[in-house]
Amino acid sequence: MNEFFNAMGVMVYRQLKRFTRARSRVIGSIFNPLIWMVFFGLGWSGLFTSSMAKLLFRGLDYMSFLAPGMVMMAIFTASLFSGMSVIWDREFGFLKELLVAPASRTAIILGRSIGDALTALAQGVVILAASFLLAKQLTPTGIPLAVAIGLLAAIAFTSMGIALASTMRSFEGFNLITTFLMLPLLFLSGAFYPIDSLPLWLKALVYLNPLTYAVDATRYALTGVSSFNILHSTAALALSAVILTLAATYTFKKSTIE
Amino acid sequence: MAAIVAEKLTKVFNGFKAVNEVSFEVKEGEIFGFLGPNGAGKTTTINMLITLMKPTSGHALVAGYDVVKEPEKVRGKIGVVFQDQSIDRELTGWENLWLHGLVYGVPRSTLRQRIRQLLKLVELEGFANTPVKKYSGGMIRRLEIARALIHRPEILFLDEPTLGLDPQSRAKVWDYILDLRKEHGMTIFLTTHYIEEAERLCDRVAIIDHGKIIALGSPEELKQSIGGELIYLKVSENPSLYSAFLEKLSDIQGVLSVKTLGNRQLSLRVKSASTTIPAIFDLAQAAGVKISEIKYTKPSLNDVFLQLTGRALRDEEASWRDHARLRTQARWRR
Repeated sequence: MNEFFNAMGVMVYRQLKRFTRARSRVIGSIFNPLIWMVFFGLGWSGLFTSSMAKLLFRGLDYMSFLAPGMVMMAIFTASLFSGMSVIWDREFGFLKELLVAPASRTAIILGRSIGDALTALAQGVVILAASFLLAKQLTPTGIPLAVAIGLLAAIAFTSMGIALASTMRSFEGFNLITTFLMLPLLFLSGAFYPIDSLPLWLKALVYLNPLTYAVDATRYALTGVSSFNILHSTAALALSAVILTLAATYTFKKSTIE
Repeated sequence: MAAIVAEKLTKVFNGFKAVNEVSFEVKEGEIFGFLGPNGAGKTTTINMLITLMKPTSGHALVAGYDVVKEPEKVRGKIGVVFQDQSIDRELTGWENLWLHGLVYGVPRSTLRQRIRQLLKLVELEGFANTPVKKYSGGMIRRLEIARALIHRPEILFLDEPTLGLDPQSRAKVWDYILDLRKEHGMTIFLTTHYIEEAERLCDRVAIIDHGKIIALGSPEELKQSIGGELIYLKVSENPSLYSAFLEKLSDIQGVLSVKTLGNRQLSLRVKSASTTIPAIFDLAQAAGVKISEIKYTKPSLNDVFLQLTGRALRDEEASWRDHARLRTQARWRR
């Protein structure tokens, strides 16, 4: 048991250490949501000023509606990518070396996903800080809850990335995933627009998307507005995190012993 | 007890036999090499021995433990240097060794001491706090060797240890490997497609091609197996004496065959050139023939491979993995 936490701790430490050294990567992943917030958010919020629009966003101005979604988008993309970088590590990197060590593979992959989740959360927190500068209707008292939801989401999506990477045998799949998975998940999460009036078939997809619950819970924490009961969305997100972590552990173990 | 025992080890990928019923034994304290072209099954064999892949059939014992039934026990006894760089480039040399030691459960105080010793051994103590991305290829390889030794393994696995290194770095890596065996009696299993590397380092070599071991023995034995050494002779003209000399040449003890190459040139296959050359001179003197030129060559392991497969040992078509590796390495070097 001691060795288990030892190996896990080493992985967490390593991911955090790498994060502090890879500045260019971090800046890149923070800029993406910032660009959305500034160019997309500010653009639309000038148009959504009628009382009709207010009704649409449940009393929020558009920027305040969008900001929680962008915090989650930052966490989502950073988590998914760092989880997926496991494929590089396995072929050409450090991870391969750990696989011949007498350490539990579960410990290795759990440690890695916790470490990556923490770094993704840090990036989300930067966007959160920026949100308070740009959006007027956010409540600072919701920050602790938003951070907790962020950590849960980060663990879920890092695991999703690891699980995806573990089932890939080459790097070509990488681009496919950005197009066919990341963008749909983002647009069907309620980050950009309310999901209540979507056609039924899209709504079904929205409900299956773990990101939906992460965005909704964060919006609740920061603005008090949400489509789901906060307990329900948190439970759904937690369940997703558990399932995805199990999936990551299983696929990773399977992919490393042929 | 043998350090490694492989019995009919086989690995099949989608119907393709990458490793085909390979059997061999590595003695304790021995440097044992797998020599063969790219794609011969060397890395696949190593991967099975270091518990990264399960054999399709057959079995193997490493340090006395079954690689399939007791992989954790095997992992505790071995150190591995992979063909591809498997080091964390964002971290420093010290940090890489530190994390490795912690994973293997080396106590912290012992670990500090060992890292210092090993960095000294591979002459990197001045670069302990430099991020690895600033290291050269040779330095990285040396750091990886140091890392593989931190937990004091019984058996060291080296997969193409000098691939892509310049001659100076290669010579250094060879020195460390020979030192390890001399000073710690470590058992070393290595793969290579460099003939010189196999000849310089290995006590015994298995030549592997298309997943099968086609020859196994010490480099000397392997070279002798294809018929000793070659002597080239040129004699000065004197037709009548020459033909008598030629007749008697094949009677010299240890001469296996004589070939005339025209223009008074001869090639002889002999068991041992060092004992046959004096006998040739004696004979020439007695026969009144003057030898104007003489030279001899030892067959290399390349001649052995050539003899057995009809092909020279050279790089085959690079796979996408090789391309990716070269690309990443080129990027890292910048």
